[in-house]
Amino acid sequence: MSDPNDHALETLAQRAIEAARAAGATHADAVVEDSRSLNVKVHEGRIDTLRRSATHGLGLRVIVDDAVGVVSTNDFDPEALAALARHAVALARLATPDPANVMPTIDEAEAGILDPGDAAGRLGTYDPAILAEPAERVIERALALERIARGADARITRCDHAGVTLGDGAWVLANTHGVLRRERGTSISSGVVALADDGMRQQSGGYGVSSRSLAALPAAEAVAREAVARAVARIGARGVPSARVPVVMHPDIAASWIGRVAGAFSGEQVMKRASWLSESLGQTIAAPLVTLVDDARLTGGLGTSLFDGEGVRTGTHRLIDRGVCARFVYDLYTARRVGGRSTGNASRSYTGAPGIGFHNLYVMAGETPPEKILASVERGFYMDDQGSFGFNPVTGDYSFQAQGFWIERGEKAFPVDGVTVASRSLDMLRGVTAVGTDLVFDGSTVSPTLLIAEMMLSGR
Amino acid sequence: MDPTSPLHQALPRELAAELLALARAHGAEFAEVYAETATGGAFSYEEQRLKTSSYSVTSGLGVRAVIGDQTGYAYADGFAPEDLREAARVAARIARDGRAGTAVAFRVVDTPAPFTLAEPAPRALDERAKIALIRRADDAARARDPRVHEVSIGYADSSRVFIVANSDGLWAGDEQHLSRLTVQALALEGDQRQQGLATAGGSVEAGYFDTVRTPETIGAEAARIAITLLAAVEPEAGSYPVVIAPGWGGVLVHECFGHSMEGDTIRKRTSIRAGQVGRPVASRGVTIVDSGRVPYSRGSFRVDDEGTPAQRTVLVEDGVLVGYLWDHLNARLTGHSPTGNGRRSSYRNVPLCRMTNTYIEPGTHTPEELIASVERGLYCKGLGGGSVSPADGNFSFQVTEAYRIEKGRLGAPVRNATLTGNGADAMLKIDGLGNDLQIDGTTGSCGKDGQWKPVGVGQPTVRFTEITVGGTQA
Repeated sequence: MSDPNDHALETLAQRAIEAARAAGATHADAVVEDSRSLNVKVHEGRIDTLRRSATHGLGLRVIVDDAVGVVSTNDFDPEALAALARHAVALARLATPDPANVMPTIDEAEAGILDPGDAAGRLGTYDPAILAEPAERVIERALALERIARGADARITRCDHAGVTLGDGAWVLANTHGVLRRERGTSISSGVVALADDGMRQQSGGYGVSSRSLAALPAAEAVAREAVARAVARIGARGVPSARVPVVMHPDIAASWIGRVAGAFSGEQVMKRASWLSESLGQTIAAPLVTLVDDARLTGGLGTSLFDGEGVRTGTHRLIDRGVCARFVYDLYTARRVGGRSTGNASRSYTGAPGIGFHNLYVMAGETPPEKILASVERGFYMDDQGSFGFNPVTGDYSFQAQGFWIERGEKAFPVDGVTVASRSLDMLRGVTAVGTDLVFDGSTVSPTLLIAEMMLSGR
Repeated sequence: MDPTSPLHQALPRELAAELLALARAHGAEFAEVYAETATGGAFSYEEQRLKTSSYSVTSGLGVRAVIGDQTGYAYADGFAPEDLREAARVAARIARDGRAGTAVAFRVVDTPAPFTLAEPAPRALDERAKIALIRRADDAARARDPRVHEVSIGYADSSRVFIVANSDGLWAGDEQHLSRLTVQALALEGDQRQQGLATAGGSVEAGYFDTVRTPETIGAEAARIAITLLAAVEPEAGSYPVVIAPGWGGVLVHECFGHSMEGDTIRKRTSIRAGQVGRPVASRGVTIVDSGRVPYSRGSFRVDDEGTPAQRTVLVEDGVLVGYLWDHLNARLTGHSPTGNGRRSSYRNVPLCRMTNTYIEPGTHTPEELIASVERGLYCKGLGGGSVSPADGNFSFQVTEAYRIEKGRLGAPVRNATLTGNGADAMLKIDGLGNDLQIDGTTGSCGKDGQWKPVGVGQPTVRFTEITVGGTQA
């Protein structure tokens, strides 16, 4: 992997906003991305697919008389860019003018250009070792995942999706107010799905990890053994009768829920009254044990970034502070609409218009070790896998297909599947009766183990 | 396929042949080049403002080299010949024995298209016409009921043109156009808040939005669903009879059965359906089909992304498993013929074995008979997203609009229900098929290994003996 040339990206971004101005734009910003990745998938001890990618793209947003047009391309030919800029201006003329459509000035974006390499180093988002990692080592890491998983337990019949992906990317944003932002990042992820057969059914257990640096990535051994443990534990899973029970959420399940809950803190959803928390600012919405944070500055975080998608400096925000609905998050447009300030939560890829997004989202660790949470439950459900759909972002209604374990007298009694778990997010937030100590930053949305006092488990 | 088109000029046959030779320079048995230009337009309309208008263009070429069951893949953004050669060299490295392949003469795949568009909507409608569709839908949604507080509308379309050529001498291409109009209506009443969603579109003519499914229809439908849900009750938790409405309800057969029939998982034996040809996998009378030839659906095409013509593949005949879905690689490795199911999200990705339009063939009952036969159950009129874990078969679906069935009649609307079960026996729980097959080709997108592809799904009204329904009421 070669170093992306930041200077060339800046020149390109500047050329695009100049083309926009020449085409009649009042303001413009351009985002240029340049990324590389290597992805290895293995199957039965051999490479299945070896894929190399090198992607570049440019997104241009223009404001013409308070109306917005957005275009994107991967063709950087100057004439093509000029034609595209004219198209962006023509599109903006079709859109509704709105004085809230703005781009940040240097002051508004809290300028202070840092050397990108230096900044990325301190944020822990850039690891040169990932760029230097030879393909052979990446392949060996993927093969090891499968080999270790296959050998770890006689009941593991085969593996699926054993693979490793590593990548690095550079990102530049420039706008016509003179804001210029540069960031670089690296990432590596590895994962495997182990399949167990108990003679009756096939059960699967998957585990994957991601990090910004090679050194921080858990060893293949640990990843494979966790996948195997999850698959083997499912053997003999059965249904249970419907019941109202306490639910212990594995950190993955809690994180998945919290990621969906966070959508209700989007300034856009709140403004449109499409959020179930639209009227809740300043009110107690959760147990005092619950503090939900969006932190853009977490060292080594997968969502860590100095600037948001509009070039505005990012920060750390408590969305829920000890149970109180403390803050909604905004990009520039929604902030103007409600008379507030951007919280640095504009998300943006080169292919589209900015939206509202989060950086590193997490529930602050509590004081109860996860094994004590389990031990505290007389009779209930330990949920550690779920379906992909089942959340209503407008109402906060929660209803997911679930897998896990039946809890009797504080212990996992037997594996369970074929059930759903349902409640309302507001009831769940208020019903958090224990927060685990086991917070691990292995993704951009994470949580410790949570105990929810009561949910409806639907079974036979 | 116009040989004077920009894409043909970017990839003349001599260059394609050279790239295939480079990709096989180290002994790959099979190589393929895939060149594509895709354009997309989108308008988002919220709070009665046209908030954003956007347009994108992406082009490039992907090269695949295959030896045995191993694939090397690389791509270039754009068509600079030296970038294309570099991609071919990188892909070639999957093989190591140094023997180059021999050159082949190309023969064009000229299978007729299952349908052609005289005036594809993305190209034949200009921007003002597309925006007019949005405003009409907004008016219709707001006019339906004063409790409609907010309406969000999106119109998005795309046109993609591709050429695929391979070392077997195949030369094929296609042009695919998709349009979609989506209306989300938010209704408020007291402290109740509910949303309804309706869509129109597919691979359609410009006139579709005036003659087949109009903005007025979907605007009113989104509003109706949101208003209906304001008065909805929470579902009863448990396992009981469920009747699912025709059309989009076919997402259930897509998720809980179709995915397990994809050739990659069959070859690798990671699917629960591997080795089950000839076995009963669904109730008697159930026939399940995947066809890339359904007129005007998002899941249809002339040739797939490997150049194989679209075809109709019967997966289950009268309850018995009779065939799988195959892409080129997995068909070759298992001695089958490709079934036109090799699909990729763009030139940046390897083709995967994917469904097209997957549906259950109709039975003989009227939908009224199926509902009337249920003493106590749930009628699902609208389903949202669904997912399945192919390895263990566990599936779930979000239900967006449902009604209680009480003594054979539809009762109170129900919200926030989830249907779950296991693909191993779900199709065996079908005990009634309606005579009202509908295939919904307007809105579906299927995700696999990080790639999204447009698909159609369909079914008649289907009655299940029981499905586990998630809910908050005991």
